Amino acid sequence: MRTEDLIQALAADTPRVPPHMAERRVFAGLLLGAAGTFVLVALALGLRGDLPGSLMQGHFLMKWAYSLSLGVIAIVAVLRAARPDSPPWRSAWLRALPFALLLAGSALELAVAPADHRMAMLMGHSNWQCMAGVSLLSLPIFAGLAWAFRRLAPTRLRTAGAALGLTAGAASATLYALHCDEVTATFVVTWYTLGILLSGLVGTLAGPRLLRW
Amino acid sequence: MALSGVQRRTSEDQLKAWMVRGLDGDAAAQNALLTALLPLLRSFFARRLRGAGDDVEDLVQETLIAIHTRRASYDRDRPFTAWAYAVARYKMIDHFRRTKQTVPFEDLADILVAEGYQDAASAKLDVDALLEGVSAKQAEAIRRTKIDGQSVAEAAEAQGISEADVKVSVHRGLKALAARLKGK
Repeated sequence: MRTEDLIQALAADTPRVPPHMAERRVFAGLLLGAAGTFVLVALALGLRGDLPGSLMQGHFLMKWAYSLSLGVIAIVAVLRAARPDSPPWRSAWLRALPFALLLAGSALELAVAPADHRMAMLMGHSNWQCMAGVSLLSLPIFAGLAWAFRRLAPTRLRTAGAALGLTAGAASATLYALHCDEVTATFVVTWYTLGILLSGLVGTLAGPRLLRW
Repeated sequence: MALSGVQRRTSEDQLKAWMVRGLDGDAAAQNALLTALLPLLRSFFARRLRGAGDDVEDLVQETLIAIHTRRASYDRDRPFTAWAYAVARYKMIDHFRRTKQTVPFEDLADILVAEGYQDAASAKLDVDALLEGVSAKQAEAIRRTKIDGQSVAEAAEAQGISEADVKVSVHRGLKALAARLKGK
């Protein structure tokens, strides 16, 4: 096809693209995927019996503060990865801040606990289920975000995949918390984090193939 | 255009204006944009592929398609050409990856560096501001010989002064500029 003809054909189909379309698409993909994950949590795992009253309990707020703050940071990384001309991110150290805070909380909690309780606080009663649940339940959200990227232009595919995976993991952890009845910061900083990192790893590996254009 | 033989690059402002109108759904502006990008992309890829004709045209087409279908990734608050060349650069690197071609190290800078629209634009503003500080004759002599790359003889002929006069003007002008920069 002659390039001049290609241009005619392309320009003939020029739909309106409203401002901030990249952000809109990413949030649409995130919400669609999260809706799917929520349904899975509710049907396959079951929501906690004490909702919505337990939403204001300390351990629940701790989980959400952690996963939501990670999610916000990961979303910022996703939005940067969506554009080919994003400048480098100068305050990258911020990304580890929620983890550092919760780790401090966990250390405090372990320090005041009796020594023979510590192992139980770390392992809880649903450790591998938590890690596997968070990472598996992130897949619908990851798919939603990958769909959003079909009209966007990431240039560093590995980084973009990692950002997508971490966002999906953090969102998935937020929803998994509606099922989870573990209460210690030590449990959350270990198993939630592992689940989210596993999602990030999957995204990193899938990025170069999945996001290529 | 045919007379001058030199195709002027369409300005960032013009390209961006077309882009924004295209985003608002103006097909004519989108057509003008893609058409204006065509020579820019051809020279971008030709320089980097050392004129492998078919590959150049394939990459130009792929880039045009990407620029058209992935318009949502353009932020209206940012320079347009930086975005467009970032897309072209991605296509270039993807091409090398696909064809498992290795790139000589010394060419990497060429591929990675953008076409420098923005830098060139802001550098031009700086130069304009500086050259206002010297006489018109000196400014013109400096501009012709140091920026546009003309020879002393060409500059002399164009300005209608002697070659010695051009040399002296450039010398004095640069000296005055240096003094002013140091004084700042």
